Amino acid sequence: MAEPRSPVSASVPHNPMVLPTPEGSSLEMDPMEYTLRKRLPRKLPKRRNDVYVNMKTDFKAQLARCQKLLDTHREICIHGLGLAINRAINIALQLQTSSQGALQLAANTSTVELIDDLEPEDPDEAGEPLTRTRNNSAIHIKVFYPNP
Amino acid sequence: MFMPGRELHDNTQSACTASIQPSKLNPTNLTGSPNKPMQEGFRKVCSTGEPIPCPIPGLASEVLEMRVKEGSKIRNLLGFAMSRFQGDGDAAPTSQVLFSGTGRAVTKTITCAEIMKRKVRGLHQVSKLQYRTVTEVWESQESGPVQMTIHRTLPSICILLSKEPLDQQEPGYQPPVETLSEESKWADEPHGNRKPEKRPPSPCSHDLPSLKRAALEQDSFGTSSKMLI
Repeated sequence: MAEPRSPVSASVPHNPMVLPTPEGSSLEMDPMEYTLRKRLPRKLPKRRNDVYVNMKTDFKAQLARCQKLLDTHREICIHGLGLAINRAINIALQLQTSSQGALQLAANTSTVELIDDLEPEDPDEAGEPLTRTRNNSAIHIKVFYPNP
Repeated sequence: MFMPGRELHDNTQSACTASIQPSKLNPTNLTGSPNKPMQEGFRKVCSTGEPIPCPIPGLASEVLEMRVKEGSKIRNLLGFAMSRFQGDGDAAPTSQVLFSGTGRAVTKTITCAEIMKRKVRGLHQVSKLQYRTVTEVWESQESGPVQMTIHRTLPSICILLSKEPLDQQEPGYQPPVETLSEESKWADEPHGNRKPEKRPPSPCSHDLPSLKRAALEQDSFGTSSKMLI
């Protein structure tokens, strides 16, 4: 059983420099350096009327895209994860405002599990690549014209 | 007295009125970007949000209201909400809790509700979105008694969690998380006996330090990804 810690303690004698481990820190972080590489969120199903909001695309472009989708669909679904939650809400509320109340919103929340990879910085040292999972909040807003 | 409000572009969704006691203020001071009055030596004195009527119909009167702010600690919020929910001490347990947050506190509000749902199984949920007007008062630091009031429209969220069933036709309703389907999913796995470790009784995987770390990592995402190239 390759315990992730054992190769690290073996590598310490090679390194004369005392690694500055913070006293009393209960983190299970190894003193070795790792690169944190984030995997993309799990791929989600995508219909024609699904919009995944991100923080890289221009806000106005994403708003316009939703507006255009609403011309052809009676309902669209706007998804936002983490920091993009705010933007997703903003888009949905702006759509509702500009429709003069014709559109309704129905918001649902969820938790998305994300995976990080920890890769050893130095390939010579026999560090094990680690993975860590964490959670992030997400929002799913249905924007729709209510049935008459 | 002059009204600088009409000079401001309205796409920022904020209106601005200034009350000036001595009339020696240079009007060009206020025509700049209304979002960053800080650059012109203004300091935020206070910000008050108008009280919003709760948008969820059919609320019990004894609902526990949790107003989540940007700096609120999730552990404090949830510690209080959980103790009231379980009803330790003299008070009768509440059956409904309402989390509300505005602007940058929206994400934290959702996270609170999500953790709560995992700690207490079988909660019904209704979420509502709306704009909320927040009034900020900014004060000039140099020229003395000059105040500027900014009305800012921010998105806000209200999440009601209830032990009792809620109206399923209400937009934004979410039924309780089905634990059954999740357990059958784990049972399908070859390591069936690892199930209790995977799903600990206390849902600490969404715990506070890791959340904080996640937020920090998110900030440094751009730089770390650049280093990898």
